[in-house]
Amino acid sequence: MAAPAQSDFQRAFHRLAKRVHRRHVGRLALTGAGVGLSLGALAALGLWALRWGEWRPLSAGLGALGALVGATLASRRRWSERDLALYFDARLGSHETLTSALAARGSEEPALVHVLERANSVLSNADPKRVKPRLWSRLHALLPAALTAIAVISVLPLPPTPKPAPVAPGAERVQIENLKGLERIEALAHLQGQNPEQDERLKKLAEQAKKLREALAKGLEKREALSEIAKLRDGIAAERLKLGDRQNRPGLEAALRAFANNQALHDAQKALGNGDLTAFDDEMQKLANRAESSDRQAAKDALEEAAKAARAKGAQGLADALDAQKRLFERRESRADALRELAQSMKGKLSAEALDDLKEFGRSGNPEAEKRLADGLERALEGLTPEERKRLGERLQRELEGSGGGASPMSKKQLEELAQQLGRKEGVEQLKKQLRELAKPEPSDDAKREQGLGDAERGGSAAERGLGAMPIPMDGDGAPGTGDPGGKPDPAGSDPRSSAGPGSKRDSGTGDHRGSTPEIAAKELRSKAEARLQAGAPMHGATLGRAPARPGETANQLGTGSLGDAQKTEVGAVDHADIPEEYREQVGRYFEP
Amino acid sequence: MTDPPAPTFEARLVQARDISVRLKRAIAQVIVGQDAVVEQVLWGLIAGGHVLLEGNPGLGKTLLVRTLSSCLDLRFSRIQFTPDLMPSDVTGTNVLVMDGSGQGSKGRFELHRGPIFGQVVLADEINRATPKTQSALLEAMQEHAVTIAGTRHALDEPFFVLATENPIEMEGTYPLPEAQLDRFLLKVSVPAPSEDELTEILARTTGKPVADPERVLTRQDVRELQALCREVVVAEPVLRYAARLVNASAPDAAQAPDLVRRAVRYGAGVRGAQSLVLAAKAVALLEGRAHVSFADLQRTAPPVLRHRILLSFEGEADGVSCDQIVRELLASVLTRPAAVERAVQGV
Repeated sequence: MAAPAQSDFQRAFHRLAKRVHRRHVGRLALTGAGVGLSLGALAALGLWALRWGEWRPLSAGLGALGALVGATLASRRRWSERDLALYFDARLGSHETLTSALAARGSEEPALVHVLERANSVLSNADPKRVKPRLWSRLHALLPAALTAIAVISVLPLPPTPKPAPVAPGAERVQIENLKGLERIEALAHLQGQNPEQDERLKKLAEQAKKLREALAKGLEKREALSEIAKLRDGIAAERLKLGDRQNRPGLEAALRAFANNQALHDAQKALGNGDLTAFDDEMQKLANRAESSDRQAAKDALEEAAKAARAKGAQGLADALDAQKRLFERRESRADALRELAQSMKGKLSAEALDDLKEFGRSGNPEAEKRLADGLERALEGLTPEERKRLGERLQRELEGSGGGASPMSKKQLEELAQQLGRKEGVEQLKKQLRELAKPEPSDDAKREQGLGDAERGGSAAERGLGAMPIPMDGDGAPGTGDPGGKPDPAGSDPRSSAGPGSKRDSGTGDHRGSTPEIAAKELRSKAEARLQAGAPMHGATLGRAPARPGETANQLGTGSLGDAQKTEVGAVDHADIPEEYREQVGRYFEP
Repeated sequence: MTDPPAPTFEARLVQARDISVRLKRAIAQVIVGQDAVVEQVLWGLIAGGHVLLEGNPGLGKTLLVRTLSSCLDLRFSRIQFTPDLMPSDVTGTNVLVMDGSGQGSKGRFELHRGPIFGQVVLADEINRATPKTQSALLEAMQEHAVTIAGTRHALDEPFFVLATENPIEMEGTYPLPEAQLDRFLLKVSVPAPSEDELTEILARTTGKPVADPERVLTRQDVRELQALCREVVVAEPVLRYAARLVNASAPDAAQAPDLVRRAVRYGAGVRGAQSLVLAAKAVALLEGRAHVSFADLQRTAPPVLRHRILLSFEGEADGVSCDQIVRELLASVLTRPAAVERAVQGV
């Protein structure tokens, strides 16, 4: 009796099982297709983003692949008989009759046979629709959605080509045919150095500037060009005479004491104290031009004494400059005397302005007055008749015999010849030429060199500005109160920002200077912390401050990074804080680095 | 004359179902309502286990047991547990009996059997006796035998202990030790009667005395039911479900739900799982089935497991009950594999 029941059970059970399996295969295939098409939609989106337009429709093929995978998985993961029996029991509400009957197969025990019979009854009465698993699930809604998405993406116009990524700051190439400012550095080639070695270095700097100009004409990375200019500026700054540095400072101070004894030398002392050799040279020029011989002698004595003192203190460079200045002072003194003697000879023929200039020249030694006096003399010579020129020659000769010609810039023979020639027209032209020579300023070699180096530095700044960078202010860039060569107006007149700063030595006048302060070409000095707090991360900060740059100097420097973690010593502060005793250990642990 | 043919399995099933119906009907003549309690007591009787009835005084616990014993052709005895009850009061003792009278007569010890030698034993208010006396029941409940003065005495089968306890009067009581509790197949909570039931009780008990119910089951019938119960088939997935349920009641089990991990100190053990399956078999039998379903296990889980789960301090502090734990177990432990369950739900 059990055998037919068993075979009936097997047959009916497997008939239902096949249906369930088919539905599972279909369900998983649909799920696979849904997932595949969704991935296809994403792939189509990716292809669209990559602008591979022609590949987009092919992404729908992933749906077919997904369906195949789903069906394969379903075939491989077939439910076992036990799972099927549990499923049927649950769907048919048969109280695990079929599950129990599976164990009854092949058994002759009465209870098991009874269960098998009950199972047959359940299966024979089972409605196949009730045991049919659902084919569609919510996940299958992906199918139409993904298909639509693929279709839409396939016809969507491709996105525009993205703009290239911005280059790093300074990495852009610049091409400038003639960068303004570099020519002033190239002019260093014609500057006379203190010694042959410096001549060589100045020529090298000029050569580098020339090469940079050529490279810029071909094209160069901006940061590389700025780096080259910075190197040139460093080289120029290194060539400038630094009287205030560690080596020259004692000598300078000793030299200054030599100028302290005479009030007339006060301005010269101040210029030298500032390390401004050009201003010092100007002051010496004024002193040499003065009519008062005691001032001139005091200046010469002071120069000699200062040179000795500087040399004694080891400031050889300063001592040499002071010696050179003394020699130049004597030449300037002779020229001023000659001009004054000529003006005395022609006193009756000079205009009222020329006479005022003669007085001003003798009082202050102002070079402007000297020039105006020479011009006045030239004009007076043109107005002389041949008879008057002859008498002027005779008078000059008499004065020459009276003075002995010791203070004249020309030799006695030259003056005698000039006095004889004044009767002729060529003699007059010769005298005019002499007068122009006398009025021409003759700066010292050191002053000329400092002026040239300052000009080259300003050229470097101008070149940096030409590249769009903000140059770091350096000595001589018109800083207030320095009065150094940098304080002079830009000879090229190209950049008003390089004019002398307020309080410069060049501002020797006593007039109203209000409104004359030029705009300072620099951003404000800042120091700030970017207080964008992140939990658990150290606070990021950015500071702009002064930091050591070149030896003995400081420069603006940007500092970035974290503001630092709590140190062990700082954590120790918890012990002294207003925190209850019982919490201190916990709080300390919390802040421990 | 030949023996009558042995009844078929199906006939035995039908007979068992008829008997249970008649038994329930007979009990219902005396006991009003309490169908679930009567049903669960029958599970214990058929599965051959003992039942602990817990409920407030006056809910008919003792009456139920007495009515049941009246319906069964079994020897009934009652032990009223009090603090001064001695173990020998339960098991019995040897007494010296003199042969003849006067000098020269010989004496011998004769066993004076205690109430434990009944077949349906009512241990009334079991938690009022000391643990020493409570433990006198242990051997009888587990091995259906008692040892008196070194002699082991087997108890008559079927042997069925029905104990009652009162959950509200805790003063002067001795909580049953876990070992003792584990011997009870089921712990049945006796609820208060509904309004209709109470009305019916009042009508019955305040009028003429009600006649004792008729005897429905003979001793042989009970043994036949118990034997048939053991023949009920349990499929392997159903057994596994029972095992998963019991295992999940342990807080350190991987599949234990969060409530169990938090509120349970000790879960049910092997005896709990055995009891679960046996009780489920009784349920299936009473429903005329020869196999156990998941639903049978789920029905029997609360009375089988509630006294086998020991709450932790956190559980007790949070007011978690053992029934809550069992409900959580039933909700969290899957009957079928997840894939099958999803297909059944049509997800």
